[in-house]
Amino acid sequence: MAGHHTARLLTYQGIPVWRHIVVIQWALQVLSAVAVAGLVFWFFTNISNAIDDRDIPYGFSFLERAYQTPIGEHVLPYDSSDTYAYAFLVAASNTVVLAIVGVILAISFGTLIGIARISSNWALSRLALAYVEFFRNVPVLVLILFTFYIMLLLPPVAESYSVGGRVYLHNGGLAVPWPTPAGQALPALAWLALAAAGAAAGVLTHRFLTRREAVTGHVSYPLTAGIATALGIALIFWIVIALLSGAAPLTIETPAPTGRFSTIEGGLHVRAGAIVMLISLVIYTAAFIAEIVRAGIQSVGKGQTEAALATGLHSVGVLRYIVFPQAVRVIVPPLISQCLNLTKNSSLAAAIGFADLTNVAITMTQTAPAISIFLIIMAAYLLMSLAWSAIGNIYNWRARIVGT
Amino acid sequence: MATPEALTTAEMPPPRMTTGPAGWARDNLFASYSSGVITIVSAGVVLYVAWQFIVWAFTSADWSIIPTLGGTLIIGQYNSVTVCDSQNCFWRPQASLLLVTTFLGIGWAAAGGGLARTVALAIALGSALMALLPLPLSEMGVDVRLLLAANIPAVFLGRAIGLRTPLGSLRWLIILAILIYIASILLLRGIEGVPGLQPIASRYWGGLMLNLFLAVGGISMSLPLGILLALGRRSRLPFIKVICVGIIEFFRGVPLITLLFMSQVLLPLAFPQGFPLEEVTRAAIVITLFSSAYMAENIRGGLQGLHPGQAEAARALGLPVWRATIHITLPQAIRNVVPAIVGQFISLFKDTSLVYIIGMLDLVEIGNAFIGGNREFLDNSRELFIVIALIFWIFNYGMSYVSRRVESNLGVGRR
Repeated sequence: MAGHHTARLLTYQGIPVWRHIVVIQWALQVLSAVAVAGLVFWFFTNISNAIDDRDIPYGFSFLERAYQTPIGEHVLPYDSSDTYAYAFLVAASNTVVLAIVGVILAISFGTLIGIARISSNWALSRLALAYVEFFRNVPVLVLILFTFYIMLLLPPVAESYSVGGRVYLHNGGLAVPWPTPAGQALPALAWLALAAAGAAAGVLTHRFLTRREAVTGHVSYPLTAGIATALGIALIFWIVIALLSGAAPLTIETPAPTGRFSTIEGGLHVRAGAIVMLISLVIYTAAFIAEIVRAGIQSVGKGQTEAALATGLHSVGVLRYIVFPQAVRVIVPPLISQCLNLTKNSSLAAAIGFADLTNVAITMTQTAPAISIFLIIMAAYLLMSLAWSAIGNIYNWRARIVGT
Repeated sequence: MATPEALTTAEMPPPRMTTGPAGWARDNLFASYSSGVITIVSAGVVLYVAWQFIVWAFTSADWSIIPTLGGTLIIGQYNSVTVCDSQNCFWRPQASLLLVTTFLGIGWAAAGGGLARTVALAIALGSALMALLPLPLSEMGVDVRLLLAANIPAVFLGRAIGLRTPLGSLRWLIILAILIYIASILLLRGIEGVPGLQPIASRYWGGLMLNLFLAVGGISMSLPLGILLALGRRSRLPFIKVICVGIIEFFRGVPLITLLFMSQVLLPLAFPQGFPLEEVTRAAIVITLFSSAYMAENIRGGLQGLHPGQAEAARALGLPVWRATIHITLPQAIRNVVPAIVGQFISLFKDTSLVYIIGMLDLVEIGNAFIGGNREFLDNSRELFIVIALIFWIFNYGMSYVSRRVESNLGVGRR
């Protein structure tokens, strides 16, 4: 019979092909692959046609040309004769510094608000709630522009607000005292390296004493001992280097107005754009971090707190030794995603002219191929998000619960 | 030595008061010395800041910048005669708002009250209250005010329609939503050759209207797209999984503002020359894709939190995979991540303010461009941005309120 014959032809492992799961799955995959490949091919044909027809520049040769455009603020040394490639690096370093300083401030501030949020004090917890509910629900761009215009309304350099002749605030930025090497850089660098080693020694001391205390019960104040070790080493080498080189390795340089039109010299200058970005990103992100911290602390069972209080720990000790170490496991993954968000939101600096990666890239599209620039900043941002995920993963690996 | 029995009830001190305002204050504000200090300090800070703000708001602040910008903040340039071919087109956004409130009325009838009623009444009342804004009649005419006030009859008209006709069913609601979205686009864009509906280029779309338009479009598209991406990411088919992971990670890794800017520069190249792709469309596509990548991760979280037994039981009962997904796993997964999904909606609404980068005048950019262009108003930027922030806040807080209500209606955490 013909019908029977065709039915047998269209079977696989005894099942009609249109009902066989493996066939369906493969068909689905092949279909979607063809669709995606087709779409990509169509886009590429269009782009290459456009490049040919409309003389649109492409390629990466521009990277070696001089950028010849000033960059407003830069952490790395920069000059207009530097290449595009180096200008990218300068802009990226601005974004990275902004992101790192912002993340540190946002985590500290957000944690404080998160703890205030679960305080047993009604007034404090309501205040924290109001903060969170307000700033979570307002676009960060509005915060940035609000801060930006307030900054613009500050007096010019010549009439800066001054705090005790040490800190100056004006519409172009903020100048604060900053430790700078008095003479040569070498003693200062040597001391910084030794002080860092001292800090490491302090951490090791703290860890060793904590472990010993846990095992033997011998009370030795690990935190005080650790800090004392670090400070002691730093102080000893400060004196040694001062004696050897004849001058203190670092002096605190105070900014001071100079000249008739009062430029402010010395100390550390933070440009207005950076201040605006930092303030708005920290205020905004802290609201989200506060909620994460609150949820994390509340995820720790109530019995833990009660048991800790019953053993005689003070409420600060309960938080520090019992609740927080457990809450951190819940807090870190969403916290990392907030760090990533802060990094990405720093691209809004383009709105106020702060020279971050996006802003510089947008300026570059006027003189260099937009396609290549897009690929580069895309790669840069993906790299940054990978870096944050890597930090999160390392943490997760270290904090994993190891079977007893 | 006094034994406990030696103390009679009469000799005992009265128990500490734990009820009434004084008891509440002692428990919650002055439980200890440190708590008392915290209470006094935070109350002091709040009172000082509030007092300073009130003094500033009523004495030195100059709120006249708000009426100066007026309706432009809400409907962009639709009230400008230059854009609208020598006549005022304010009625077009107004008419689409009336369509929306009527639809909300139908939705209220379909749901039979509860949350749908609250939302419908709140939006209608909020729109109608704008008719009472203390602006001079030259700024805001009687016709504008009447159209705004008509939102209240419109919501009740919608309810009557919903109660008396078959339009008040779920299937019709979805169809109506799509129809009204299309009708709104037609009203705003205009139709060539129809008197009174002269075409208006989409670059003139602006104000809060643009933010809402992009947000509604983005929200309604990014949820289904996000679900598809999340299912794709969990799929056992390697190719589909790779594609979905690629899309999700790409859009999550790059800032939206960069994507929007590049959509301006690159997207026109990726389509044949002359392909109709306006700024609004590009912005909508990019915002939707960006948001659906985040949505996918939220939904994936919900799916992962679900016990595998649910899917296994559904399969054991003989449901095919797609039915088990639609009827068993997805509803539970979505129910568990309602707050995260609404958080993403809020985030999407806030992100619509980034369209300034492609030269669109949304609510924020109208304010920013105005101050940038009229430096004499620099002193009033605070007043302006406070109002803009409050407008965003009202909508976002409204969304999170609805989310909490939905969550308690769905009984999350109780079953």
